[in-house]
Amino acid sequence: MPASASDVLKSAAAIAKGMGITFKELMSPTITENYPDEPPKFQERYRGVHVLQRDENGLEKCVACFLCAAACPSNCIYIEAADNTDAVRFSGAERYAKVYNIDYNRCIFCGYCVEACPTDAITHGHGFEVAGYNTSTLIYRKEQMLVPLPPKP
Amino acid sequence: MSKLVRLEIDGKPVEVPAGTLVINAAKTVGIEIPAFCYYDGLTLQGACRMCLVEVEKSPKLVTACTLAAAEGMVVRTQTPQVVQARKAMLEFLLTNHPLDCPVCDKGGECELQDLTFRYGLGESRFLETKVHVPEKQWSAVVYYDAPRCILCYRCVRICKEGMGVSALAVVSRAVDSEIAPNMGDHLYCDECGMCIDICPVGALTSQDYRYQTRPWEMKHVGTICTHCADGCTTTLGVYNNRVIRGNNHDRTGLNGEFLCVKGRYAHDFIAHSERLKCPLMRVDGKLVEVSWSQALAEVAARFGGIRSRGGKFGVIGSTRTTNEENWYLQKFAREGLGTGNIDHHRSGDVISLLSALKGRADALAATSDLYERKAALVIGSDLAQQHPLVAFQLRANWRHHESHIYTVTRGPVREDAYSRLRVRAEAGRELAAAKSLRQALQAEPELLILFGDCVRGAAVHELVEFGDSLGIPVRYICLVDYVNSRGAMDMGLTPGLLPGYQPAAAPGLDLAGMLAAADLDALWVVGANPLKNAALAAERAFVVVQDLFLTETAARADIVLPAACAYEKTGTVTNVCGEVQRLSRAVTTMGAKPDLEIFRSLAARMGLDLGEPETDRVYAEMRRQLPVPAAGEAARGVVASAGDTLFTSGTLGRYCGVLRNVREAPGGLYQ
Repeated sequence: MPASASDVLKSAAAIAKGMGITFKELMSPTITENYPDEPPKFQERYRGVHVLQRDENGLEKCVACFLCAAACPSNCIYIEAADNTDAVRFSGAERYAKVYNIDYNRCIFCGYCVEACPTDAITHGHGFEVAGYNTSTLIYRKEQMLVPLPPKP
Repeated sequence: MSKLVRLEIDGKPVEVPAGTLVINAAKTVGIEIPAFCYYDGLTLQGACRMCLVEVEKSPKLVTACTLAAAEGMVVRTQTPQVVQARKAMLEFLLTNHPLDCPVCDKGGECELQDLTFRYGLGESRFLETKVHVPEKQWSAVVYYDAPRCILCYRCVRICKEGMGVSALAVVSRAVDSEIAPNMGDHLYCDECGMCIDICPVGALTSQDYRYQTRPWEMKHVGTICTHCADGCTTTLGVYNNRVIRGNNHDRTGLNGEFLCVKGRYAHDFIAHSERLKCPLMRVDGKLVEVSWSQALAEVAARFGGIRSRGGKFGVIGSTRTTNEENWYLQKFAREGLGTGNIDHHRSGDVISLLSALKGRADALAATSDLYERKAALVIGSDLAQQHPLVAFQLRANWRHHESHIYTVTRGPVREDAYSRLRVRAEAGRELAAAKSLRQALQAEPELLILFGDCVRGAAVHELVEFGDSLGIPVRYICLVDYVNSRGAMDMGLTPGLLPGYQPAAAPGLDLAGMLAAADLDALWVVGANPLKNAALAAERAFVVVQDLFLTETAARADIVLPAACAYEKTGTVTNVCGEVQRLSRAVTTMGAKPDLEIFRSLAARMGLDLGEPETDRVYAEMRRQLPVPAAGEAARGVVASAGDTLFTSGTLGRYCGVLRNVREAPGGLYQ
């Protein structure tokens, strides 16, 4: 049965409505991110891979108090403490973390360690690409998490 | 039994013996009165003012730690005034106390931290900059951080009263007050670390635990100290299969909170770099590393060969292995190798004592007697150096109960300071000198006699006769050197006696006899170093040594089997008073095996079935009927103490870095 004039009109209206949405969205700013071609955008408080901070003198803020390890519900933080000496100083206090490992096989990114830290040494960064083919690569050492020292002028 | 008094604390009726302090009376009904300076067993100080309570009819708040409970007293511990006083006191204590809890070693087990949490204000009105004083090192093991100190005087009192050393005091006034060591800038003391342990805050810290880890991260293993024979419990803090510290803050064991330098710090031999971790076998005159199976097979084959041709064995046991191991070793020697030549280094004549007592079990003293008996006679031992716990308990007995101490020694000892009578005697004349005290001793209601290795053989019989002739109840302690010296004798590591001091059918050679026997075919040395001062006459003998380190004896061996130390195994040990206590395993060292495991592997390879160690049965029999060894048995062999001081511990002492570094005690043995 040939289409009636009203059917044609109805179809045209539907197409116009659909295309209207298309053109409207075409004009509005995009939400979709171009990851991995462009870096993703994060909310300020996104809990990613941890970052170990330095103080204004470039010393490590971490004093190896073990409170993060105590607070950690998945038991993924391993610390070995050691004494600072006058010759070699790592942190501002008497003690520093000689070894500081986080096992990202176990970490659940709950943020309790950050909350527990009395010196604001451990924070969540925005790193999230922690997938790997080998679980042993997911144990991050202190050197991987420390904020790099600014280049010497 | 002293009179009971009735009082009321927070509305609860309390009934306690007269003289009980209110702080302790409150504890009996589950009311906590917070305090820093009060410490059970020490003199009262009233320094911290934390225990202030309200007492009816008293115009001001009273310190509960210095107030004796009295009939009809009404005490209140929760009134707004008391709560306010506690908050103010804590605020005051924290005026200059640095808030470095994340770094402080005490963080997590700090009394100031705990009480601030429970009773504190949460914030301070003191906004001024805190006074800072740099940290000081007082000795190889003691550090002092003055700003953290709350001046509770606990360290000062434990050092003076508990240890009898008086190495600490408070100097300066007001905000500058701090604890100072006796030599101005360093300590000259026993280095026992009691001051560190008793410190309620982190002002005193120890070298070995400093900045290593935190209390909650460690596994805490209560075990028996492996050094002297007193049998103190030391609670080892283990982190990552490493012993970080030793203390006994929880007051478990015979020793309460007491530990000497050895119990607290001398655990570093476990991880010593020279520790044997692989069996060694002599190949072409040199000791080379071999596998366990190769070494065990070789020992089993050689032992089997010598046994089958009727060769002559010699077995030397240890004073540091467990009762189970000692039992198994003597059974191995007697049944497996068919020899009676078994002995160990004897440091006290327990055999003669048992022989002289003729089965009177009530004449053997327990550790608790040291604190409870009304009089004690010490013959031929510098207790503070050789038996720190015994000295500590006798001193506490004298302080708390005014007991009478008598000393008969070759030279000056610390006990002189509070002994009623002291006699100097030349070596060998100690017993005669002790007898000169007859009149004074007879006047005592009861007596405890402690004697060292100078009284041995017939002299022990003479001593017991002397004790019996006093006409008062007398108990004896035969002082021996090492953690299981007593157990080695109980378990029959002697040529003439089986476990439980039963006579052996065929008594063999003693230690000196074995070393001197030129026709010895095999010598098996377990945890001992007999060749340190003696030579082995049998040059061609096949020597097997089980030890932790390459000692002089091990260096002569054909096969060396690395053994586990007492902190690496379970089992029981028997202390100087005959109390049997259990070891717990704290750590493991890869490659070393417990001696019992080595014995069992050898027995299996030699096709022997020696059964399970029957130590429980032996001790049950000994408790049922105290054995009476024949008087002649004690005469067999040599009894001589190694004369260790606070800073030596036989072979182990050589491998304890702390003991070698810390040599600042007032005088050595007999000064």
